[in-house]
Amino acid sequence: MNVQKEQPARMTEEGVLRAAGDDLAKKTAESTDFAAKIRSVDLDAWFGKTQALKRINLGIRPNKVTAIIGPSGCGKSTFIRCLNRMHELVPGARSSGRVLLDDEDVYAPGTDPVLIRRRIGMVFQKPNPFPTMSIYDNVAAGLKLTGMRRGKNLDDVVRNALQQASLWDEVKDDLRKPGTSISGGQQQRLCIARAIAMQPEVILMDEPCSALDPIATAKVEELMVSLKATYTVVVVTHNMQQAARVADFTAFFYLGKLIETGPTASLFELPKEELTERYLTGRFG
Amino acid sequence: MARLMDLGMDRLRNLLLEMGRLSEQTVATAMEAYHLGKNLQEVNRWSSKLKQLDDQVSELSIELIARFQPLASDLRYIKASMEISYGFYRYGRYAHDIMEVLETFGDLAKCDHTVVEASAEKTKEMIKLSVEAFANKDVDLAKKITSMDDFVDNAYRDYIRKLMKSRKVDLRCALSETLILRYLERIADHATYIGNSVIFIVKGEEPAYHD
Repeated sequence: MNVQKEQPARMTEEGVLRAAGDDLAKKTAESTDFAAKIRSVDLDAWFGKTQALKRINLGIRPNKVTAIIGPSGCGKSTFIRCLNRMHELVPGARSSGRVLLDDEDVYAPGTDPVLIRRRIGMVFQKPNPFPTMSIYDNVAAGLKLTGMRRGKNLDDVVRNALQQASLWDEVKDDLRKPGTSISGGQQQRLCIARAIAMQPEVILMDEPCSALDPIATAKVEELMVSLKATYTVVVVTHNMQQAARVADFTAFFYLGKLIETGPTASLFELPKEELTERYLTGRFG
Repeated sequence: MARLMDLGMDRLRNLLLEMGRLSEQTVATAMEAYHLGKNLQEVNRWSSKLKQLDDQVSELSIELIARFQPLASDLRYIKASMEISYGFYRYGRYAHDIMEVLETFGDLAKCDHTVVEASAEKTKEMIKLSVEAFANKDVDLAKKITSMDDFVDNAYRDYIRKLMKSRKVDLRCALSETLILRYLERIADHATYIGNSVIFIVKGEEPAYHD
């Protein structure tokens, strides 16, 4: 038997990236052949002179969970913060290109970013309930800002949001306790309830489980999957197994570029791009 | 930099290479026993060893999945490894079955060995190719195995058809040869599956169907 020594294919990341970059026009065509809930078109983003996103064309399917994966600094958080115009809140940050929410450009002149952020809610890496507010008031805070008064309607909305966030049964007798008095995992679900209370269309989650233990993580993951029945969910995660568990579609970013996107199962079993393959198999660097 | 998982992946590959070599030797020895009319007991011992190795491959594969949650080519390799391991184990099992035929039917010296030996030569070649295709992740060799499968299939079917038309049949020869041709045909099928698994590892393509 003639057994050859295995020679893993080697190509520098720069070389592979150049090859991937040459193919961006093709990717644009691949990413636009379906009705998206939200879609970035030629989206660039900068922090000062540093370009963080390079011509991202990515459609997010409605009522699905889409995971954004990639190494630190690849632009995945920047990307979702561009979707609801939070990127522009950072001093020196800017973006160009378009983000279409149901074909409506969220960057069109005259568009109120506050209204956009109401339609596209966000949950952050670290649970951040308002520290001086009760559990109830944390959920109701956004609604009160819109002028909704305390009363049965508000009670119903709070209960409904907590139920959707799978937290109601755990806190229904403690609604007046501080939002920070519950566990980290519960606080994160409280933040999800706070986002849900605003009745958004899209929920963006930026590493929502990175500060949670495995049990709390499992609850948030179950929640992500159940939420897609009502909302479109986009989750940024470093945890590829989490993406594999929850996401219907996955997009891989590297150095500010969208390298590959597709159904999670096929992207994780048979990635088309060598860079994706190397990232998924831990062969970077 | 080597990955932690590579230690396990190397062990998996080495186990499969050992199985490949042993299964090739086991089938060749079974056919030598048929040719010489001898009962070569090592075939049964090696067949049992192949079963143990197959169990080890399964355990290691599950351990690698549990520990490292592999993706992409790693995941395909582990998935295919379990199928390839099963194929190598089946080579050994059919070799054991051929030995049982020799034990059951006794002296077959008077039988015409021509068809069985021609089929065995082709099958052994397919086994060799399947081991090499896996060892070298060689898609061309893997595809070649598929193209050879018809020869062994046809040898078995043609023999049956010929038997059915025969008026005078030596039952000892007819039954033993039918069984051995059937086992060779199954071994050839497993060689084809192993070829398909090699293609899956390299290209991610699943075969259209399994027989």
